[in-house]
Amino acid sequence: MSSFKRKDPSKQSNLKSYEGTRVSPASSSTINTSTGISSLDDILGGGLPLSCSLVIAAPDLHSSYGELVQKYWVAEGLACGHRVCVIDDYAEDFLRDLMWYPKSALSVASGATSGGIKEKEGPLGSTFEDEEDEPTPTDRKVKIAWRYEQMKPFQTTVSTPSLTSENYCHVFDLTSRVPTPVVNEKLVSGKLSLLAPGNPNRTGGATMSALRQVEQVLQEQSTVPIRICIPSLGSPATWGDITPSNVLQFLHSLRGLLRKYPHGCASITLAPHLSSDNWSGSGWLQKVGWVTDASLTLAAFSADPALSATFPSHHGIVHITALPSPSTLVAPSDRFSTLRGLASSASGFGGSGENNLAFKCTRKRLIFETLHLDLDGGVSERRTSAPSSTAVELTTATGTSISASAAAKSHDHSQGTCNGHVSSGGPRIDIEFEGPAVPEEKKAVVAGELIAPSPQPETRPKKPKKKVAFFSDRPDVYDF
Amino acid sequence: MFSPFDIPSGAFTLITDELSAPADFLLHGAVNACIKEHATKARVPGLRAKSESGAGPTVLVLSSSVDLARWKAISSKQNVNLAQHLTNGTVKFVDVACEEGGEMSLSSVFNSISATVGSSSDVLSERLVILDDVSTLEWIGFSPLDIMRFVRALRISCHKANWTFIVRYHVVTPNEVDEQLQQLLGICTYHLDVRPLYSGRSGAVSGEIALHRGAAARQDEVKLIKRSGSLQYRLLDTGPVYFQKGTSEGVL
Repeated sequence: MSSFKRKDPSKQSNLKSYEGTRVSPASSSTINTSTGISSLDDILGGGLPLSCSLVIAAPDLHSSYGELVQKYWVAEGLACGHRVCVIDDYAEDFLRDLMWYPKSALSVASGATSGGIKEKEGPLGSTFEDEEDEPTPTDRKVKIAWRYEQMKPFQTTVSTPSLTSENYCHVFDLTSRVPTPVVNEKLVSGKLSLLAPGNPNRTGGATMSALRQVEQVLQEQSTVPIRICIPSLGSPATWGDITPSNVLQFLHSLRGLLRKYPHGCASITLAPHLSSDNWSGSGWLQKVGWVTDASLTLAAFSADPALSATFPSHHGIVHITALPSPSTLVAPSDRFSTLRGLASSASGFGGSGENNLAFKCTRKRLIFETLHLDLDGGVSERRTSAPSSTAVELTTATGTSISASAAAKSHDHSQGTCNGHVSSGGPRIDIEFEGPAVPEEKKAVVAGELIAPSPQPETRPKKPKKKVAFFSDRPDVYDF
Repeated sequence: MFSPFDIPSGAFTLITDELSAPADFLLHGAVNACIKEHATKARVPGLRAKSESGAGPTVLVLSSSVDLARWKAISSKQNVNLAQHLTNGTVKFVDVACEEGGEMSLSSVFNSISATVGSSSDVLSERLVILDDVSTLEWIGFSPLDIMRFVRALRISCHKANWTFIVRYHVVTPNEVDEQLQQLLGICTYHLDVRPLYSGRSGAVSGEIALHRGAAARQDEVKLIKRSGSLQYRLLDTGPVYFQKGTSEGVL
């Protein structure tokens, strides 16, 4: 008689199943929560696991992408019905700016009670009207060489889930704000709490007091997942003078608390001056990565005009320092992340590295994408003569990017030639488009090129750019 | 003890790693190998009586952040029931960084451990002490001097009782050797250096390992692995798969 007993899968996992969470594909003992951004969930391997902490470093002083990620985190928590705690002195201002469902979804949802809202999916996987969307492929049918016909379209990001599917990774729209009654209702019911660290004058006092408050919240109840959010760890106003040792001790102790109370998880953004790698001597971000479970850097291009010219359709690069693996040796992201691309390489050819990742913030949402270098001159056209202008993006005296405003103007004219004059405090610049309507992707690239300002722009002879035609109404068909 | 490295038992091994190539798998491998060996010897009738009488833990893990759930999950993938060994005292975890009355003190931790290490009478099975990890202790506020004293004291206790001692150190500045690492290198017997690939992450190769001789090692005792010919490994959930540099399935 064999002493082996068959394991009963139904009795195997004695984990609680929480609302708004998913079991990790890598291990049945790990439960993932969504960050609110589907592409970030993909990078983390399905979401941020419960009992884990995520640290986002955003070194750019002039942008607030780190805080934007935290807003998604809180909005997702509110939408899923989780308990959310925001630790910041200015939490109320932070909450006022939270994004919420798109207005179209809200109005339809209030009208129709049954039936899901099926969003149409564009070729890039976007689910609602967006000016960066590609036009539908029925416009022009182009004969492609036979070997490429079977290949799937070039995708740089993962698709967003449709609106009324499971209670995970809701679709938020940056143009709509969370209604005040929703926030008030959550505050009253205790689903949302705002904590202030307090005691910023004593060095290290703020972090100790914050830890005590977090422990109190975690001890209170364990029926619902608890999301801790720290929008700006180390900002002088809230946290006072904070030393590197304070930060590392705080993150280390927070991780210990989350392990002790595994129904909680935390997402923290470091203040910009704490996010640079040499804040406390070299290797700072590595140290942060060791004392937390997941760590990413969102390095925005705002301060570097050369980078924003090289990658005009993105707003910054993502560096991955650490990824969560709460119950496996190999991080689930290595096996399951589509964006990072390690999974496809491991089994097949077994040799290629991971993709470079970047992020961009469109009018409606924040997207993480794979980053690819364009062909010289842009993927949309191949020139046979040298370009007549340098492709450097100039910013006007007001600081706004010219290509952004040019792109906005170009949408008014979909056909034919359009001229856009951008006149502001800086030099006078003319932008011209020639020929038939070009797809949006090309427009973003072409708009980046400017005719260098000259003293008499009207008399300059205009040479038409010779195009070696490789038109494609779909995004490029080569697959990485 | 460490396969495929034939490091003798009773040695003091320093393991250095980086964030892109953490050496968790080496520690898990060492603990699981030790437990399996103890379990095998316990099954032998003559040895079982000796090993059960008043023996302390076979494996002592001193960690700056004890994550039992993770240890259990990973050990179960390697067919070791860690929960059972925790209950019967074969494996013991000690949280070095926990505060006792608001004061963190390594000397009090050492006093409680030294009794365990010194009193072991069973010389048949291999005993293991792991200190994971020294760098985090420094970052969270312990003074470097206290840490080095702790490490030295532990090393001497382990040497006297012939316990294998492993210390893990995180390298955050790959091209620089800081003072603490220098001191550790000066007292270790062997140094296992785990590094990521220079070209970044890859699907086929997770990192590479080199084995160097420390100051206390005898000549020609163990086959060393130089950095230039380092052993590469690929991490799977069940453990690492080792292969010689340049021979992974994708290359050949």
